[in-house]
Amino acid sequence: MKIKKLLAAGMVSLTAVALAACSNGSSSSNSKTINWMDSAEIPSMDISKATDVTSFNQMNNVMEGLYRLGKDSKAEPALAKKTTVSSDGKTYTFTLRPSKWSNGKALTAKDFVYSWQRTVNPKTNSQYSYLFSGIKNADDITAGKKPVSSLGIKAEGKYKLVVTLDKRIPYFKLLMAFPLFFPQNKAEVQKDGSKYGTASKYMAYNGPFTQVGWTGSNLSWKLKKNPNYWDKKAVKLDTINYSVQKTPSTGYNLYQSNKLDATILDANQTKQLKGKSGYTLRDTASTFYLQYNQKSNKYLKNANLRKAISLAINRKQLGKAVGGDNRPASALTAYDLTKVNGKDYTSSVKNAYAKYDPKAAKTYFKKAEQELGTKNIELSILSDDTDAGQKTTEFLQSQLDSNLKGLKISVQNVPFKTRLSRSTKGNFDIVVSGWSADFADPISFLDLFTANNSNNNGHWKNSQYDNLVAESKSEGNNSKRMAEMQKAENIILADQGLTPLYNKTEAWMVNTKVKGLIYNGAGANYNFKSAYVK
Amino acid sequence: MTKYILKRIAYMILTLFIVATITFFLMKMMPGSPYTNEAKMTKTQLRIMNEQYGFNKPLWEQYVIYLAGLVHGDFGISFQYSNMPVSQLIGSRIGASAQLGLQAMIFGVFFGVIIGAIAAIKRNTWVDTTATVLSIIGKSVPNFVLAVLLQYYIALKLGWFPIAGWGTFSQTILPTIALGVGPLAETARFVRTSMVDTLTSDYIELATAKGLSLTQVIRKHALRNSMIPLVTLLGPYTVSLMTGSMVIENIFNIPGIGEQFVKSILTNDYPTIMGTTIVFSLGLVIVLLITDIVYSLIDPRIRLQGSDA
Repeated sequence: MKIKKLLAAGMVSLTAVALAACSNGSSSSNSKTINWMDSAEIPSMDISKATDVTSFNQMNNVMEGLYRLGKDSKAEPALAKKTTVSSDGKTYTFTLRPSKWSNGKALTAKDFVYSWQRTVNPKTNSQYSYLFSGIKNADDITAGKKPVSSLGIKAEGKYKLVVTLDKRIPYFKLLMAFPLFFPQNKAEVQKDGSKYGTASKYMAYNGPFTQVGWTGSNLSWKLKKNPNYWDKKAVKLDTINYSVQKTPSTGYNLYQSNKLDATILDANQTKQLKGKSGYTLRDTASTFYLQYNQKSNKYLKNANLRKAISLAINRKQLGKAVGGDNRPASALTAYDLTKVNGKDYTSSVKNAYAKYDPKAAKTYFKKAEQELGTKNIELSILSDDTDAGQKTTEFLQSQLDSNLKGLKISVQNVPFKTRLSRSTKGNFDIVVSGWSADFADPISFLDLFTANNSNNNGHWKNSQYDNLVAESKSEGNNSKRMAEMQKAENIILADQGLTPLYNKTEAWMVNTKVKGLIYNGAGANYNFKSAYVK
Repeated sequence: MTKYILKRIAYMILTLFIVATITFFLMKMMPGSPYTNEAKMTKTQLRIMNEQYGFNKPLWEQYVIYLAGLVHGDFGISFQYSNMPVSQLIGSRIGASAQLGLQAMIFGVFFGVIIGAIAAIKRNTWVDTTATVLSIIGKSVPNFVLAVLLQYYIALKLGWFPIAGWGTFSQTILPTIALGVGPLAETARFVRTSMVDTLTSDYIELATAKGLSLTQVIRKHALRNSMIPLVTLLGPYTVSLMTGSMVIENIFNIPGIGEQFVKSILTNDYPTIMGTTIVFSLGLVIVLLITDIVYSLIDPRIRLQGSDA
């Protein structure tokens, strides 16, 4: 009897809940609100401590630096009203426009000095402080050898900021558009203490938007138009509702019911939705490539073997096998990172071994066997144990097995951290590595393969390459600099010091009514400043 | 009874100490560092950071420092969420997981017992077969598949419940069902088996013989006695449900603790690994103690060892 009653009560309450749920109106976009998503929680809003793209995306929209990243990764003046550069390129003088923090305090040159000094201070434990390298004394300060006050940044009066560099940094303005170099309000940092940057309320903002409702671990919050922003006329959106969507199927369900204006797609959804209205492909400024251990593996020192491997890989199929809509890569520098004279930088980079040519691969492989005097070459490929990592090694193994008869390939898939530590220790034959640029300059890729770089895991060495990379860093003329970098890239590719595989892309569905949104692959991805709904 | 409980608590502390120790050393054997930007940091910077965090100290010293912190209730600061104390991270997330787990538990056990009991009473009829088939399906369909199906058909197509999110009761319904169907199926199977045993026992026949109605026999004698073994099942169930399900939480955007168990290990977030492990173990040992006490209360045949009674 009791059970029956309970059941009945249960049914009634379920129905009531169902009805209540129906009355929840949908919150679809009005003309000044959009609903956006990210795939991960915000780890930190502290400029000196953030390391991930979710945080940088937030900061890029709620904070403002000397420059702001505009279309095609162009650094556009923001708080810097006027910039003068000394003839040797080592001194930058910025004149700031008067502006305010969201807590009402005036933003002055001192806020930049404070922010930078805080980041390079070894006590802050910033994981990104290496990007300050090149600014006067930065390296010594992070190593604890010099006082923080000796950093090459000085405030002269309220609105004049002078930055001195150890050496010319050709991409300096791009760095200034990266959130790491944005100002911080000292009063706010000191007031909040250890809570600074752990929730919306423990922050001072100066960007187009302010953040509301992030508690440090919740999955939804809002960006609201900042009434104190210096250029608020240019800001068209009132609200951006942000939520964390970790499951693409959920994201797409919400997108279909107009509760999201954008959602990232997984491999299956990409297949189904490619070409549909709203389908958007985003380049992520990252390249996946093979590194060959030339220090401890006697076979891989042979260039013909490396060329054979490169020619035996069908990159187009690989890009698909990995899942999604990835772009086959022939260069080390990622596609769509930067443009030279209106053309993509990589279009002038040559790689004769990036095409799929099993016949030529066989010829090079025979040569390699002769030169090495053996027919029993055994190699193993190391990669991550993620889905993409496993699909990569599976694909490579089957391609190399079928195209290079006689080559024995084994694969090892290990957790990301293990792969990293084995890479740095040189404990591999061939490793699948990935790199994504922090700023839109090819140097962030080319630096990796200079002789002493800690990311040059295969220890490929070429003095001409090193010289060209070094020269490009002191070159003042931009097109000459780009040409030098392209030349250096041609050298490493001609020797297959590494083998580019693919550029990772993200496939999204984006509401076609959302316009004016700026996306860049390197650095902070999204800039909502001028976004609007048509 | 008090003596027994005190003894058990002493064992619990010992257990936790052993768990903390083993986890600490296993964790330190994992390659890599807890830095989220490790791949891009230079060697010099890694060295400087290791000195800052004391990772360059001998392992035993790090262990002692860690234990000292633990005794003071300090789990340390998370690496994934900079500046955030692990206790705060766990505290802010375990609530949602616990609520969901508890609801799933109640849903599963309540309907599981009903279905199991009905199947046992009507054993070897079509009702029993249907219940069996349903429980096998419920047990074998992974909960995330069910979650995706429920979300697509019930939430998106029919629009009865919100697709995802956390905050209102209606948002908890679908995840509760998705998470609760497994325990439901298992409870139903368990109750059926145990009830069939009970129903064929002598004292039930006696009860029937003395003229009690079927409802009375089942309510007063059969159901109660068949529930005893269920208690064993409930303990560990409660803990595993309440500490969160990563997949369900991710599908329904629930700010729970589930993912932290996995993510902290993948990112070498040492303080969070230790924090979540200890919270999980603590939950488990407490629930096991409660289970044992409850056992002695509901089953007079069981006497606790060391008990005065």
